[in-house]
Amino acid sequence: MWAAMALITLLFFLSVYGAFLGPKRAKEFFNSIPLTVFWLVFIILLIAGIGLFRRLIRKPALLLIHAGCIFVFAGALWGSVKGHTLRQKLLGIDKIPSGFMQIYEGHSDNRVISQDEQIRELPFSIGLKDFRIEHYKPEYLYIQSRQGDYWRCPVEIGAEYFLSPEYGMIKIIRVFENFKIPMQGKNRIAVDDPGPGSNPALEIQIVSPNGESTTRYVFEHLPGHMHPGDELSLTYQRVISEYISELQVVRNGKVVAEKDIQVNHPLRYGGYHFYQQDYDRQAGRYTILEVTSDSGLTCVYAGYMMLCIGLCWHFWINKLSGKGKQILKAEAKGK
Amino acid sequence: MEIKYTIQGLLIYITIALYLLALFASIFRLKKFGHLLYFLGFIAAVVSFGYRWYHVRHVPMQNLFEVFLCLGMIYPVSLFSRYVLRIGGQTADMLIGAVVLFPAGFIFSANPLKLPPALQSWLFVPHVTVYVLSYIFMAKAAFHAVLQLLGKNPRSGDNLLPPEEATYRLTCVGFPLLTMGLVLGSVWGKRAWGDYWGWDPKELWSLASWLVYVGYLHFRYMFGKKHPRINSIWAIAGITVIVVTLLWVNLSRFFPGLHSYGATM
Repeated sequence: MWAAMALITLLFFLSVYGAFLGPKRAKEFFNSIPLTVFWLVFIILLIAGIGLFRRLIRKPALLLIHAGCIFVFAGALWGSVKGHTLRQKLLGIDKIPSGFMQIYEGHSDNRVISQDEQIRELPFSIGLKDFRIEHYKPEYLYIQSRQGDYWRCPVEIGAEYFLSPEYGMIKIIRVFENFKIPMQGKNRIAVDDPGPGSNPALEIQIVSPNGESTTRYVFEHLPGHMHPGDELSLTYQRVISEYISELQVVRNGKVVAEKDIQVNHPLRYGGYHFYQQDYDRQAGRYTILEVTSDSGLTCVYAGYMMLCIGLCWHFWINKLSGKGKQILKAEAKGK
Repeated sequence: MEIKYTIQGLLIYITIALYLLALFASIFRLKKFGHLLYFLGFIAAVVSFGYRWYHVRHVPMQNLFEVFLCLGMIYPVSLFSRYVLRIGGQTADMLIGAVVLFPAGFIFSANPLKLPPALQSWLFVPHVTVYVLSYIFMAKAAFHAVLQLLGKNPRSGDNLLPPEEATYRLTCVGFPLLTMGLVLGSVWGKRAWGDYWGWDPKELWSLASWLVYVGYLHFRYMFGKKHPRINSIWAIAGITVIVVTLLWVNLSRFFPGLHSYGATM
């Protein structure tokens, strides 16, 4: 028991230390050779504990808790980078632990840039039909005066908003997804360019109290931008509700699976999971997927189940039920 | 620190006032009146939570303001502790309710925010709910640990457990919830970010707080009630690490990570 206490205490201090390192360095630290040895010792001690303490075998709830921990650690080691390397050397199973894919719209690719920055290949390809970003509705135009007055106006074409007798009113004229002013010809007219690129903007009309009307363009990428003579600071803000990549899995030239992946809704195929990770922030032409191997995951999840069931059984049913309360009392008297 | 001149703010201040009045009534031995005020405070807390829900159009558990709003609904835990677990401390619960609502009323920003894509998951509500519940139970356990250290015992006629046993029993209820919070967070992390364990500071501090209670439970199994003061120190250490996990990790610049959206000041 003292050995278990020592390992628990050590893991506590390691966790606190790791928290100060930041995710990237903490991951390297906890996957280093000495820490891998520590995890192995932890598993061995848990197994030895089950063998040595008869109570852990007699009480199925306690057995589930401790066996659950073994499953979690074992699954984590099996799915780690070192676990993948070991399996490749011993069993010849070549699987990419994790990496990234960059896929352009209308193209497919099977190359994965692994974490050690090597280019590896999947036995199938992933195609990107379309990538899009969805926003919460309504979008808003935020207006602030130099005196600190503040208005929030839902963006709706044709909507008019009276600000104050001092500032007059504004009208939303047009919404652009990709605002551009073509440089050809004499007339400089703003257009919503259907080509590549992303420059969301609003065309608004400000009508001053004396009836003077001026047209202004408000760009999402330039929040709060104002000229020296401007009375009002304007911000066009949209809140992203979802990133969506429409994916196809292509094997031997045939589409074998399709899925629109979003955050929280990855694609699972061929022992890998594909996650929406990033995208082309300039023009939205490509998506970046995170690819992770599913090795060890079933073992980890089985461990989680065992741990939770065991804990509820032991602490809620055994300890706190009517019979459990009597046992608790007897235990308390005995000690 | 700011005063919220909004309906939301008003509801929070009413709840705090009712909890504090209930506390004073209980201290001055007006037990029934105190309980009535406590119940009314709970109703105000539920209305406040419901109002926020209506206002933001999603279950309000997104940031620290909303989590503390949720923590303020402590009344059912008091009842459960009193009538199921035979554990007192209702007067302290009134104080805990007022204390946890204080940051929501005066410190954290109540600006409504839309749910980012990562939070749009069925795991969002169960993950936060079990954590909030476990934190309340662990806070109560720590309170009884303090009582044990101060040598306070319930009156013989109250039919309540002594503080050391109360601490243990509350931890027995809270620990599986704490574990479920950790496990659900891990499963959610896998679905959202591709990894069930990202070595994020919040994850590591959550693991650290879980390990303190693992240590407590093993220590108590080893020695039972032979070292009640050490048992109490374990429980107080547990809630200290929970406070670090809940507040310091979200608010400090030391710990940038995936859970940073939880902090809105």
